[in-house]
Amino acid sequence: MSMRLPKQVGEWINRNKKIRFSFEGQEYTGYEGDTITSALLAAGVKVLGRSFKYHRPRGVLSLANHDINALVTDGVDTNIRADVTTLTDGMQLKAVNTDGGVIKDKRKYIDSISPLLPVGFYYKAFHKPARLFPFWEKVIRKAAGLGIVNFNYPRINKRKLNDFCDVLVIGAGPSGLSAALSAASNGLKVILVDENQHLGGSLTYDFAGEVASRKTLIDLVEKVSASLNIKVYTGAYAAGYYQDHMVPVVRADGITKVRAKAVIAATGAFEQPPVFHNNDLPGVMLGSAAQRMMYRYGVKPFNKGVIVTANAYGYRVALDLLQAGVNVSALVDMRAEDKQDAHALELANKGIQIYKGYCVYEALPSKGKLGVVGALVCPYDPLTATADVKKAVKLECDGIAMSAGWAPAGALLYQSGMGVVYNNNIQQFVPNRLPKGVFAAGRVNGVFDLEARVNDGLRAVAEVVNFLGGAVKALSVETHKGPSPSHPYPFVHHPKGKNFVDFDEDIQIKDFINAAKEGFDNIELMKRFTTVGMGPSQGKHSNMNAIRILAKIRNFPVEKIGSTTARPFFHPTPMGHLGGRSFHAHRLTAIHAWHQAAGAAFVDVGAWSRPAYYQKAGLSKEETVQQESLAVRLSVGMIDSSTLGKVEVCGPDAAEFLERFYTGIYADQKVARSRYVMLLDELGVMVDDGIATRLSQDKFFVTISTANAPMVYREMQRCLQVWKLNVTLINVTSAYGVINVAGPKAYQVLRKVVSIDLSEDALPVGRSAEAKISGVPVRIVRAAFVAKQAYEVYMPTGYALSIWKLLLESGKNEGIRPFGTDTQRLLRLELGHPLPGIDTDGLTNPFEMRADQALEMGKPFFIGKRSLEIISKKPLNKVLVPFVLAADYKGEMPQDCNLVIESGVIKGRVTSIGFSPSVGCVVGLAYVAPHQAELGSVFEIRTDNGKTAKATVVQAPFFNAE
Amino acid sequence: MTELIKTSPLSDAQKMMKPLMGSHRGMEVALSFEGPKAEQKHKTILGVTDVSCFARFGIKGAKAGEWLAQQGIKTPEALNTWVEGAPGTLVLRLGMSEFLVEDQLIGKACAKLQAFDQANIQSAYQVVRADAAFVLGGSEVLNLLAELCVLDLRDSVLPSNFVVMTQIAGISATLIRESLSGEQVYRIWCDGSYGLYLWEILIEIAQELGGGVVGLTCRFQ
Repeated sequence: MSMRLPKQVGEWINRNKKIRFSFEGQEYTGYEGDTITSALLAAGVKVLGRSFKYHRPRGVLSLANHDINALVTDGVDTNIRADVTTLTDGMQLKAVNTDGGVIKDKRKYIDSISPLLPVGFYYKAFHKPARLFPFWEKVIRKAAGLGIVNFNYPRINKRKLNDFCDVLVIGAGPSGLSAALSAASNGLKVILVDENQHLGGSLTYDFAGEVASRKTLIDLVEKVSASLNIKVYTGAYAAGYYQDHMVPVVRADGITKVRAKAVIAATGAFEQPPVFHNNDLPGVMLGSAAQRMMYRYGVKPFNKGVIVTANAYGYRVALDLLQAGVNVSALVDMRAEDKQDAHALELANKGIQIYKGYCVYEALPSKGKLGVVGALVCPYDPLTATADVKKAVKLECDGIAMSAGWAPAGALLYQSGMGVVYNNNIQQFVPNRLPKGVFAAGRVNGVFDLEARVNDGLRAVAEVVNFLGGAVKALSVETHKGPSPSHPYPFVHHPKGKNFVDFDEDIQIKDFINAAKEGFDNIELMKRFTTVGMGPSQGKHSNMNAIRILAKIRNFPVEKIGSTTARPFFHPTPMGHLGGRSFHAHRLTAIHAWHQAAGAAFVDVGAWSRPAYYQKAGLSKEETVQQESLAVRLSVGMIDSSTLGKVEVCGPDAAEFLERFYTGIYADQKVARSRYVMLLDELGVMVDDGIATRLSQDKFFVTISTANAPMVYREMQRCLQVWKLNVTLINVTSAYGVINVAGPKAYQVLRKVVSIDLSEDALPVGRSAEAKISGVPVRIVRAAFVAKQAYEVYMPTGYALSIWKLLLESGKNEGIRPFGTDTQRLLRLELGHPLPGIDTDGLTNPFEMRADQALEMGKPFFIGKRSLEIISKKPLNKVLVPFVLAADYKGEMPQDCNLVIESGVIKGRVTSIGFSPSVGCVVGLAYVAPHQAELGSVFEIRTDNGKTAKATVVQAPFFNAE
Repeated sequence: MTELIKTSPLSDAQKMMKPLMGSHRGMEVALSFEGPKAEQKHKTILGVTDVSCFARFGIKGAKAGEWLAQQGIKTPEALNTWVEGAPGTLVLRLGMSEFLVEDQLIGKACAKLQAFDQANIQSAYQVVRADAAFVLGGSEVLNLLAELCVLDLRDSVLPSNFVVMTQIAGISATLIRESLSGEQVYRIWCDGSYGLYLWEILIEIAQELGGGVVGLTCRFQ
């Protein structure tokens, strides 16, 4: 049966455009502008989903994204919120969390065994006996809702943008609209955000039967639309508050990070349900949900309804229902006071039966609990929260609208650091302290009367203007008069329970009582034990009621209980939104594309992508690395070392700077000479090493290992500021390409293209020279890191690729071969050179590395010297030693980080290891106990298979044949 | 003697787009990618041009500004601002004592500065640069920048002579706003090793927004 009402003034649907879709295999038609839920309701579908735990049928609760009764999937998206997702043509939808469909769900039996599944049962069951846990885990994982993650979800880019304004107004109800307009008229740039598809908030549905009051909305919206100072985001929610008024606004197609000078939270309040037996049946809904249904989507919530209210709002709902042509059987008011306002009189005049001081004791279910057939109403005792069932009255109905009060939508304000006080006049937490630049207006601020809400927006703007340096007259808004908009305790105990507080997690009143009995009687503990507010709704419809229950249990006033703060993002946000576009910043050398074309297997080193080795068909990685290393040992190889950090240290105090920064002596270093540099931290831990080449009396060129370069350069800058030396630091890491040509035939290759004499006599190890290659200025540094005969060639980056190709051509006859970082690691290991970060860890000092020769302890100062002086007086715990495995070793190959074990005790670990074809055995570096470090000592390495390999301490370098 | 070719940080990626290649100041550059009609359209909506080939001269040190002035180059007085230091040459003040001089298509100052014997400069040191550099323009340029930069770069907020040193797409970059043949454009410089990464991001977003790559010829015609 169609539940579509005749056209409503201001409705959000376009009846001229039909939308076809299916739900649970059944074809339906809705209108453009319908949400999935409104279209289904219009078609008479009431059961939209099954509950998370007990698999109870569920229908509409809030129709406002404050609950998750209606979660559906289209086969791609997992948990689509049907209440607020706009219908699109061709949607094929199914309810999530069912086994066999929403009506015939095979797991509905769980509802009947719910007494066996109280809250926290999973904390107490399943873990014994331990061997059965994997079985239970499988069962629980299968049974647990909600939707099934689609691992084939398409990559859809959700842009993350930045936007800026003077004032961000969150919420476009009466307070937000008036605030936005007022701010704009004060010349401020405004961003106005609302989660709904249209502006207006409650102005779009709360009329108390007087649709003429829509004029307020029309006026405000027209002015907002006309204002050039207001940018509007609809269908977007402010998901969190961060420092300096940064608020991420989540849109359907991405996130906008808004940075505002001031924020006004006009976020309103969530309507709260009264709690009675079967208050979750399809057809039982919040009063505001019924209003939204009628006025936004032109859908009748039910044909014959009962309204249960604990405030004046239920009367407004009743009048709206009557105006829409719904038959209202009765209004049940949980309050006993006999004070009647105009709306009550109007209802009475219309012949509606009003049960004062009554409650709905239970909603009577239809077959299968798929709907409501009536309500059992009884006199209500608010002190005991019990019903006098002897005086029960049965009312026939197919729907119940509930209004018990409001909970402020204060998540953003809490995140900003708001302090609250509990206002007993309105039974609500209201702000009593807000951070600078953050303001609250409207219901979230405890203001409920419509005119007062509009004025509260103006009041907030006056405060904003003054905060931003203006000078306007401060405004005030009258405090709430009349009965409280929220009931202090809208609960009805029932021996059969099923009086739900949290609809996401199927949590009943007795669950809270049991939790308290178990000792979880603090709101934070109770939240975690019961899981109240931990579902996707994040407590929007349940936290306030949970606080009230706990207050009652502990006999405390509500304010003593306090409230929880939802973390940002307080509303569940798709992972795709959080990820945004994939920004993976990476650095490439000028030769990168050549490496790719040559079959390089790349490895990330810091932000750089470097060739680890060049793949050859039919060869394993290890074989390839060994071949590349042999090329260097027997002939010549070259590696792109452009990623090395490079810093020019310039100025009269350049040498002094290096002496303080590094452990060695540089003051007496001659021009065109290179020296080793070692950097420690203040604790004497080795951080980095490299080469310093003196280019002129006041200029050094320092290299830093690739991964450490950004950190070391930052530390250089920091130290320079502290030391105030006359030094200029220039980071030239990317300005120069570097090609290291190494091997016995390196000289032959280079001499063909380099403009100067590179012979051993002219340019021995430790020297540098300025030269030219085909007219391009280059610097050549002799450094014996991977081979004794090796030349580091530095050139302007723009020429790196051309020179690389030129050297390859030049070395064709010598069999030149490019090699990667894996080969480089093996080559330097063969020479016995430890690598910071590989052969050191966050605690390694130079004594443990046997690098004493790099320390000039006689200097007045260098970073870490003081710590070294202390360390040097203590015995060493470990020592780095070179070792070999027997040439005929056939056991499992030890790996980096395998442990050195002596008598079952860990003595150290392997830091580098590999088979050296040049040496003819496995060589490595390992930390061992000092007593194991003698030449010829044998120690044991435990391999991955648990067996041991015997290693012998030897003298480095392993390879010395050049 | 083999003549060596100087390549742009984006050289390989651009060659895959099969552009019309040429050379500027010794660097191999892409002059045109998709022809004047398509590139003109990109330019109107959102055009990205690689200007890494422009000549640059960096100098840093206590007397860097003084030395530039001696060479007849006008320098900005305020920190983090820029001026046209010589006809067709931009001078950006990157800090108290650091300057970036960049010849535009027609500028000639850098070659003169490069030729100076560095050893004779006191208390100022040349900064060898290898930037990737871009020109961004078109109606959607702020839309693109809104995704890549957390700063407010609108005309009303960013004075036209400001130099912004910030993060763009997660990497350190320098940005200015300038008028190029009457069109408001943004100039971005970043470390050349990040150039390809940034280029790909810029082009990806530009294409999503209806724009795309614009060659040197179209940009400066």
